Amino acid sequence: MRTAVNAYPRTADQFESTMLPRPVHYFGTGGALTELAPHTLREHRQHFGARPACVGAAAGKLIDRIEQARLTGRGGAHLPSVVKWRAVRAAAGTRGSIVVANGAEGEPDSRKDVALLELRPHLILDGLVCAAEALGAREAIVWLHENAHVSRAALSRALTERTSLGEPAEPAIRIAFGPDAYLSGESGAVVRALSGGPALPAFRTVPSAVKGVDGSPTLVHNVETLARVAQVARGAACASELVTVCIDETRIVLDVPTDASLHTVVSHAIGAHPSAVLVGGWGGSWRAWPDLAKITIAEPSLRAHGLSLGAGVLHALPRGVCGLARAAEIARYLAAQSAQQCGPCQFGLTAVADRMTELARGGRRTRRDAARITAWADEIRGRGACHHPDGAVRMVVSALEVFADDVAAHGRGRCLARRGRS
Amino acid sequence: MKRRLRVDIVACDGVGICAHLASGLVRVDSWGYPIIEAHQLTRTTGRQARAAVQACPRRALFIESDGVMGGP
Repeated sequence: MRTAVNAYPRTADQFESTMLPRPVHYFGTGGALTELAPHTLREHRQHFGARPACVGAAAGKLIDRIEQARLTGRGGAHLPSVVKWRAVRAAAGTRGSIVVANGAEGEPDSRKDVALLELRPHLILDGLVCAAEALGAREAIVWLHENAHVSRAALSRALTERTSLGEPAEPAIRIAFGPDAYLSGESGAVVRALSGGPALPAFRTVPSAVKGVDGSPTLVHNVETLARVAQVARGAACASELVTVCIDETRIVLDVPTDASLHTVVSHAIGAHPSAVLVGGWGGSWRAWPDLAKITIAEPSLRAHGLSLGAGVLHALPRGVCGLARAAEIARYLAAQSAQQCGPCQFGLTAVADRMTELARGGRRTRRDAARITAWADEIRGRGACHHPDGAVRMVVSALEVFADDVAAHGRGRCLARRGRS
Repeated sequence: MKRRLRVDIVACDGVGICAHLASGLVRVDSWGYPIIEAHQLTRTTGRQARAAVQACPRRALFIESDGVMGGP
């Protein structure tokens, strides 16, 4: 189980434009295990071609291409990137804007951003420079977790290479850091921290694309989105997504074509069929394994089934593991990661996590617990300054739905998952 | 012009005066924090909303006009 993983089947054409032609494995908190080597600037140019300039008329052309390619953000909502770009451009005027590559990967299961930073730093930097040029930015920043030493080293190396190997016309790029917390990668928190405040989500009535870092229009994009910008600028389509498939302590990062089904992606990566998958990350939705056969990883397909790729995480639940217990564990983590700023999140998530833990233990009150959790979820949803509480209750409520039979079994003091194993 | 009562949930401490002064607009959740009806303000609820905005000790409430932040 989950040993040999072949390169994802592709045509020669797809292979050329792909970001990661082979899977990248991570075990626990360790570094990447892969045959792929980090691209030097020379290799990067050989593989992807030179970065096209994005100033003047080319700026408008790039924005049109971003629209045509239907590029979306990776902040969980998968909003069309072009909306942000146009807003920043319109608001910037003569003041200039700020562009930020967000590499602070908060999701504990996700490794796609780390893999990209470590192995394809120039693709991210290309995208950031394209954005800086097209949006007339006066500052370009890469935002990382303070303990992301490998990513930081890879980026510093790449930046040194770019200055010494002749990308002289590029705007200067600065690396900035936030605390190693789940929420320091939330875009509002990034903007607040770069403006000199704490790295915590902010309540805002004006989007950061209009009024962001120090009041300047600010574009915050996930590093993967910027890597896609670098490809789109070169005329490539957005026909793949980076995903992290997670099972137990193993995490596998893959660049998969968007027409691949969730079944194919997960079974390819782990070489086994899990009982259920948490789609989108810890703030995503659970689905039973048989329900995933016809859903592809393309966002419209996921949306049609009430799902989202979110942070690009597919968390597989191994057979014999109780989904309710796993959901309770994740709920406790998410409650602990609340920024403690908004009451409904601070108190609500703790209440939900505690009740979910009791439900997972089983007993006669199980059915009442489930009803209580669902009612609390309705009170909490949409009430935070950021979407952290929304994701947490989405995960819990979907667990109660997908593992409904097990909720009933827990009420009788049994567990379907553990029984299935023996 | 569309006007709505809104809360800055980060500033809010769940004091609860708003739920008394604007009972037609505000109810409290299980933890004492305000849930505000998304309806547009009428003449009556507008008066309630202004009273709530002025009474909030955390200065967490505001009246929003067509997406623009405004004072009481």
